[in-house]
Amino acid sequence: MFSRWNWVACGFYLVLNICSPDASAGLVQSCGHIIPESPVLALGSNFTALCILNESCLDFGNIYANQIIWKIKNRVVPKDQYREINRTVSSVTFNDTSSLATPLTCNILADGQIEQNIYGITVTVGLAPEKPKNLSCIVHQISRFTYVMTCSWNPGRHTFLDTEFRLRYSWPEEVFPDCIPKGVNNSCTITDIQFFVNTEIWVEAANALGKAESDPLVVDPIDIVKPLSPQNVSVSSGILPTVLKLSWENWISDAVMTLKFNIRYRITGDTSWMEVPSEDTASPRTSFSVQGLRPYTEYAFSIRCMKEDGVGYWSDWSEEKTGITTEDEPSKGPPIWRIIDASHLPASWIVHLIWKALKPFEANGVILQYEVTVRDKSSLSSPLKKYNVTSTNHTLQLPKGTYEVTLIARNSVGASPPSVLLIPESNSKAPVKNLRTLPKHDKLWVGWTAPNSYVLKYVIEWCLVSSSSDCIIEWQIALGDVQGVDLKGIKPFKCYLITVYPLYADGQGSGESVKAYLKQDRPSKGPTVQTKKVGKAEAVLTWNHLTVEEQNGFIRNYTILYKTIDGNETVVTVDPSKTEYTLSSLTSDTLYTVRMMASTDNGSRTGPDFTFTTQKFGKGEIEAIVVPVCLAFLLIVLLGVLFCFNKRDLIKKHIWPIVPDPSKSNIAQWSPQVPAKHDFNTKNQMYPEGSFTDVSVVEIEADDKKSFSEQDLKPFDLLKKEKSTSEGHSSGIGGSSCMSSPRQSVSDSDEGETTQNTSSTVQYSTVVLNGYRDQTPVQVFSRSESTQPLLDSEERSEDHTGGADSAAQRQQYFRQNGGQDENNIDRPCFERAKQITRANEGDLVGFVQLQVSGQSSQPLGLGMAKNTQEAALSNILQTCTEGQTVRPETVEENPLSVDDMPKSYLPQTVRQGGYMPQ
Amino acid sequence: MAAADSPSTALRRRDLCSRGIRLAGKMRADVVDLLDTYVEQQGLDASATVAAVEGVPLAAVERWDEQTGTQRLLENLAAYRAFRALLAQMLEEQREQLGEADAGLGRALAAVLLQVSAFAYHLEELLRLESRGVPGEEGDGPPPPPRLSLFEQKLRGLGVLRELAQWAVRSARDLRQLAKPSPATGTAPGLAESP
Repeated sequence: MFSRWNWVACGFYLVLNICSPDASAGLVQSCGHIIPESPVLALGSNFTALCILNESCLDFGNIYANQIIWKIKNRVVPKDQYREINRTVSSVTFNDTSSLATPLTCNILADGQIEQNIYGITVTVGLAPEKPKNLSCIVHQISRFTYVMTCSWNPGRHTFLDTEFRLRYSWPEEVFPDCIPKGVNNSCTITDIQFFVNTEIWVEAANALGKAESDPLVVDPIDIVKPLSPQNVSVSSGILPTVLKLSWENWISDAVMTLKFNIRYRITGDTSWMEVPSEDTASPRTSFSVQGLRPYTEYAFSIRCMKEDGVGYWSDWSEEKTGITTEDEPSKGPPIWRIIDASHLPASWIVHLIWKALKPFEANGVILQYEVTVRDKSSLSSPLKKYNVTSTNHTLQLPKGTYEVTLIARNSVGASPPSVLLIPESNSKAPVKNLRTLPKHDKLWVGWTAPNSYVLKYVIEWCLVSSSSDCIIEWQIALGDVQGVDLKGIKPFKCYLITVYPLYADGQGSGESVKAYLKQDRPSKGPTVQTKKVGKAEAVLTWNHLTVEEQNGFIRNYTILYKTIDGNETVVTVDPSKTEYTLSSLTSDTLYTVRMMASTDNGSRTGPDFTFTTQKFGKGEIEAIVVPVCLAFLLIVLLGVLFCFNKRDLIKKHIWPIVPDPSKSNIAQWSPQVPAKHDFNTKNQMYPEGSFTDVSVVEIEADDKKSFSEQDLKPFDLLKKEKSTSEGHSSGIGGSSCMSSPRQSVSDSDEGETTQNTSSTVQYSTVVLNGYRDQTPVQVFSRSESTQPLLDSEERSEDHTGGADSAAQRQQYFRQNGGQDENNIDRPCFERAKQITRANEGDLVGFVQLQVSGQSSQPLGLGMAKNTQEAALSNILQTCTEGQTVRPETVEENPLSVDDMPKSYLPQTVRQGGYMPQ
Repeated sequence: MAAADSPSTALRRRDLCSRGIRLAGKMRADVVDLLDTYVEQQGLDASATVAAVEGVPLAAVERWDEQTGTQRLLENLAAYRAFRALLAQMLEEQREQLGEADAGLGRALAAVLLQVSAFAYHLEELLRLESRGVPGEEGDGPPPPPRLSLFEQKLRGLGVLRELAQWAVRSARDLRQLAKPSPATGTAPGLAESP
C-alpha cells in the first residue's frame, strides 16, 4: 500500500519536473540532465552521451540509472548501446553519428511501465571545413581612380554547418580588415587596393568543428589588373584614301601602369575582324593610324588595352566606332557587253550596250557618270561618237559593221581605266567547246574547253527559260585564262539557258549554249493523255509536252500506264520527244484506263486518268459481213427473177387465167335480156386494172383442196403465197388474215351492217364459173356495174340453207387460216405473230402499237404478259381474236358451203352457171 | 658596402627598386590629385606659400648625386616615416573636422597614407638587403606637434602634401640610381656608388 502511494507521488513529481519550462532556474528542479549539452558532432565519428539523475529524485521517486531509456526522435535506442555507469548515471554510445537525429532524450521507465522524459538535447552533425582551394584574384578598374579586387576560391565540400569564410590580406607590416563574403561562400571583393606592394592573400574557413586556411597568394595587385577599355574612341579620315586615324583616351594613368593595345577593324556589315599587328600598338599611346584600307569604305573600329608588360588581363573591347575613308578614282573600268537586235532593218543594228556598276571597292567613290565612246572600225574616216550616260545601259542604232566601244566611269576624284568592247560584224571566230554545267551548292558552275586561239575573255550569258515571258539575259565576264565560272543567283528547279561567247582581240566567237538546272525536282504535274483514235486492238494516245515551268527538270522519259478494269497494269516507256503513242494488242470492246507519268532525274508525276473503250469490230469487219450478205441477197433475188422469167407463162397462167367470154357462153346466147352494151369480149373490160381493190378473196380450206384439181387450186396457192410473203398487211382483198389491217378487218366485218351504204358505192363482184374445155371451172371475178343491194331474200335463204353449216363453215374457215389446232383458235394468230417476230423483231413493237391504235381504246382482256414482248404478243392475240370475232360475220354475210361446191370456191353467193345482177 | 649579392638578392633588389619607383610615381600622381582636392576642400589658395613644415625632411638636398645608396635609403626612410605620422595626424584631424561629410578626401588621404607606408616598407626591405639594420623608429614617432589653429592645420596639411609630392619625385630618382648596375661590383647596382 505504501509502495503504491510512493509511485504515485513519484510520478506526480516527475510530471512536475517535465512540465517545468525552465528546470534549471525553475521552481521545480529537474530529475536529471544530459552531458554534453547540445553538441556539434563530426559526421561519422562516435559519440557518447551521459544521462545523470539527481540524487533527490532517487530518494523521492526510487528511480535509478538502470531504468533509463534513451530515445532518438521517439525511437528507442537499442539497450546494447546503454551502459550503467553507476546508479545515477547511464551512458549511450553511437559508433557513427550519421545515425543520430534530434532530439536525443533520456527517459525513465517508472513503476507501472509509465515512460517519463527526464531530459533532451539537440544534436548537430556536420563536417569540418575543407581547405579552400584555387584562390585567384583579379583587380577590376571601376573608374579612373577606383579599383576593386575580387578573389574567388573553391570552398570545398558542404559541411552541413554554418561555416564562415574570410578573405584575408596583408602587407608584411600592415594587416588589413578581413573581407567577409555576403550571400556566397566562394568569392569576396576588396575595395581598398594598393598597388606596387606585394600583398599576401588567403582564405579562412571556420565552423564549429574546425578551421581551415587556403594557401596564401602573394601578388602585387597591379599585376592582376583588368583595366577599363579606352574611352572616347573616335575615327577620322586622313589625307590618304586608304588611312583612318583612331584616337582614344586611357583611363588609367601612366603613374599606375603603362598600356599596350589591340586594335581591330572591319568593313561595316562584314562579320570577320581584321587586327592591327600587336607589335605596332605595344607601346603607350592615345592614337593610331590604320593604313591599307579601301577608299570610300566605312570601317568599324574597336580597341582594348592591358598593362604594357603583358602581366594582367586585357580589358574588354571598346564600343565600335565607324569611319569612312575618302574617295579615290575608280580602280577598273566597268565590264561591258552588248545585245544586238538586227531584226528591224536589214542594213543596221540596234545595239544595246549594257554594263555593270562597279563594285564599291572598285568604284572607290560615287560614280557620277559613264563616258561611252563608239568608233566605227570599218571606216577610218568616221568620227568618234561620245555619249555621257548616268545609267548602266545605252542603246544605239548603227549601220552594220565593226565597232569598238570604250567605256569609262567617273567619280569626283577621277576616271577609271577604259573598258573596251569590240563588236564585229559577224561572230566568225571559233566557239568554245565541250560546254557543260555542274551544280555546286547554291551556285551553278559552267565550264568549257577553250578554243585553240588566244581568248581575251569570255562572256557568259544566262537567262531563265519561261514559256510565258521573254528570256531576260544576265551576263558576266570571265578572264581569258579561266575555263569555268560560278553563276550566282540561280534558282533551283528552273531551267536556264546558258551561252558562252569567247572574245578575241580581233573578233568574237559564236556562242555555244546549254540548258541547265541548279537543282531538279519531279514535275509539278503529269501529262494529260487522251486518245486520238481508238480501234479494235489499238489506240493512238496523244498528249502535250509539259511547260518548262511544270517540268522542274529535264524530262527523261514518259511512262504510259494502262490497264483494264480488272487487269494488270501495263507500263510503256516513251521517249520524251514524242507526243503520240499507239497502244497495240488491246482487247476489243474493253474499257481501258490510261494515265501518263513524266519523269525527271529526281522523280515522277502522274497525270489524270483517261478511259476509253476499244471497238467491237475492227476496221472492215462490218463491211466484210454486210457486203457478202447483200451480194447473196441480190443473187437470190436475181435467181428468183430469172426463175420467174423462165416460168412466166406458168405464172401468167395462174395469175391471169384465161377467162371464158361470157358473151360467148350459152347462157348469154340464151338470155334475151342481155344488154347489148355488155361487151365481154375484151379482157380489159373484164379485168380492168385495180379491180382487185374491191375484191374480197376467200381462201379455201386446205382439206378441201383435195376435192379440186391441182390445176384449179394453183391460183389460190399463189394468192396464199402472196399473202404470207406480204405478212398480212396486204390487203383488203381478204380480210381473212388475222394479220390484216384492223381497219380493213373492221371494214370487212362491218360489211354486213353497212351493206346498204356500201352497196351504193361498191361494185359487186360477179363470179363466173364456167367449165372450159372440160376443165374444172375456176372462179372468175367479174366486176359488176350494178349498184343494187344484194337481195335479202337470197342472202336470207342462203342463210337458212347454209345456217346449219355456218358453224362448220366458220370452223373450216378458221382451220384454213389457223392451221391444224382446232382447240385453240388463237394459235394461228399466235403462230403468225411468231412468224412476224422471227422475221423482224424490231418491227413488232410498232406493229403492236398500230394494232392497239387501231383497236381504239378497247380494253384488252388478256393480262398474262410476262414481259413486254409477251404483252405485245398478247395484244396481238387479243386483236386477232377480236378480228376473228368479226371475221365470221363477214363470212356469214356471204355464207358459202364449200361442201356444196366441191369443184370451185365461191367467195360470194354465186350459183353455178353464173349470176346476172340484173 | 655590401658584399657580392647572390642572384636572388640582386633580383629581389631590382624588383623592390622597380616596384618602389612605380609606387613613388603613383604616389606622386595621387598626391598631386589630392593636393587639388585638398586645396579646394579646405578653401585654400593653390598658390599660397607655406613655410617648411616642422619635422618634415626637405627633399631638396645639395650634392644629391654624391650620396651613397644607403644614405639615400636612410634619408628616404626617415622622411616617409615622418610623412606616415603626419598623414595619420591629418587624417585624424580631417575626421574630427568633417566627420564623414567628406569621405572622398578622407579615403584619398588614407590611400596616400597606405602608399607612404608601403614605400617605407620597400625602403626597409632594401636596407635589409644591404645587410644594414633598419633603424628603429624614435619612440612613437616624431614629437607631437604643438596645438595649432584650424587654419594652421590646413596650411600644415598643404605643406605636408606638397613636400610629399617632392619626395615622391626624389625617391623615384633615388631608386633609379640604386637600380643602376654598378660597374664596380656588377651585382650591387648603385648602392655603393659614391662621388
